[in-house]
Amino acid sequence: MLKIDKLCKQYNNQPVLNQVSLDMGPKISVIIGLNGSGKSTLLKVVAGIVEPDSGTVYIDRQDITALDPEERKIGYVPQHPALFNHLTALENMRYCLKNGRGSEKILDRYVEMLGLKDILTKKPRTLSGGFKSRVSLVRSLASQPKVMLLDEPLSDIDVAVKEKLLPEFKKVLKDMGIPTLYVTHDPWEASLLGDNFYAMVKGKITEINSADDAFDIIKASYNIKSSVS
Amino acid sequence: MSRNIIAVIFTPLFLLLVIYPLVALLFRLESNGIARTLVDPFFWDSVKNTIVAAAFAAAMGLLLAIGFGYLHLFQKNTFIYKIANLMNDLPIALPHTVAGLALLLAFGRNAFGFVGNTGLAFTIIAVILAMFFVSYPLAARTLASGVEKIEKEVIDVARTLGDTPTKAYLRIALPNLGEALFSGFVLAFSRSLSEFAAVIMFGGNVPGKTQVLASYVFTKVEEGELEMAVTASAFCVVLSLLTVSILGLRRLRYAKN
Ligand SMILES: Nc1ncnc2c1ncn2[C@@H]1O[C@H](COP(=O)(O)OP(=O)(O)OP(=O)(O)O)[C@@H](O)[C@H]1O
Ligand SMILES: [Mg+2]
Repeated sequence: MLKIDKLCKQYNNQPVLNQVSLDMGPKISVIIGLNGSGKSTLLKVVAGIVEPDSGTVYIDRQDITALDPEERKIGYVPQHPALFNHLTALENMRYCLKNGRGSEKILDRYVEMLGLKDILTKKPRTLSGGFKSRVSLVRSLASQPKVMLLDEPLSDIDVAVKEKLLPEFKKVLKDMGIPTLYVTHDPWEASLLGDNFYAMVKGKITEINSADDAFDIIKASYNIKSSVS
Repeated sequence: MSRNIIAVIFTPLFLLLVIYPLVALLFRLESNGIARTLVDPFFWDSVKNTIVAAAFAAAMGLLLAIGFGYLHLFQKNTFIYKIANLMNDLPIALPHTVAGLALLLAFGRNAFGFVGNTGLAFTIIAVILAMFFVSYPLAARTLASGVEKIEKEVIDVARTLGDTPTKAYLRIALPNLGEALFSGFVLAFSRSLSEFAAVIMFGGNVPGKTQVLASYVFTKVEEGELEMAVTASAFCVVLSLLTVSILGLRRLRYAKN
């Protein structure tokens, strides 16, 4: 289980994370927020890439706030697929095995489920955006993380392809059955994927009932009258 | 006309100040000087010393630059990184006689007397160290700008997959630094080929032993053997043009890919 307690982070005296708290079971939680609302920063703090000013992150009740990223057992799929360009798709997905972690079985299972068999020997540069993001997803899952973090993993993908990819992502993440934090600026994408939803505005996070409610929260905070839209 | 004013000013100045001196040098070549130089064993020793020492210096420079690239990626806030970064600009401003003198005091008789009665001074190792001192910063800066181009998230992901910073650097960053490694080596090599002041202060100018092309030319001018100096100089021009064109060709290839 992932628990985030009162995380704060400032850049240049501007709060980017403002007392962010979350408590998540093995579900897909989606955070919806506009550009610059602090979504990526939150995931980077949880992954251990960025140090928070204050606050705590727990996995299974263990305080991991001081651990390095390699000690956290957290899967991270960044905004752009960030594949290792000098390695083949398969070598990308097997990368964690070099560090004595992860599982070939999980790897094979998701390669199968996502139809990656035919592209295993290809280099990332030759793959389409959809395949890149699938490989990026499996690369993280294969390391058997305790928590998954996905930072707008489909932001580079055309809507038509996205429509096909989102159910695939959902199926695989559900199958994995670990706490998953998925970040997007798109309520439509959120609604197709999530079990529960949060809106993020200027570094603050609020739980909402459905993805569509995100609009109201965001509009209210920017003083946009609902009637205008 | 006025639209091209900059090109119109640039071209003649460039031709006069850069190309003309080289042409003037090449026009002084004459067969007698060429013949006498090519049978001079000290000339060939200086060619060998120059190339061998420059290759060693560039290799050492590249190794240290790889270390600097690591600091640039992971330890920008450390004191040692800040010092190292500052020092990368130093050899531009520092007279290389000063660098040579510093090396002489550091590795010469007083501190390194145990390896011989002049320490490391006036050996080929001194030549290599002098070349290294002035050329390493070029390799370090090249590596740092290569590291700069690596997508930060790629390293972040490797970390979450269990890589320590060292592993991520060696397995993910370095394989993607091919161009920087190559240019860093060639730049350091070219810079080493041209070094004179630091080499002569610390390595001396012993024909057949520590004499390099730069000091061979100097000696021949001093001895009044202008024709031999011109031949050796023309050889240097060709050698340096070759090295820099390797760099240019390689850049072209990368630009295409
Ligand atoms: N390393 C940094 N240094 C300074 N400011 C930063 C840094 N990283 C992020 N910020 C600032 O923090 C704020 C939140 O950035 P963040 O990337 O977390 O937003 P985001 O919600 O992911 O936005 P996007 O939808 O554009 O990805 C932005 O204003 C950004 O400029
Ligand atoms: Mg972001």
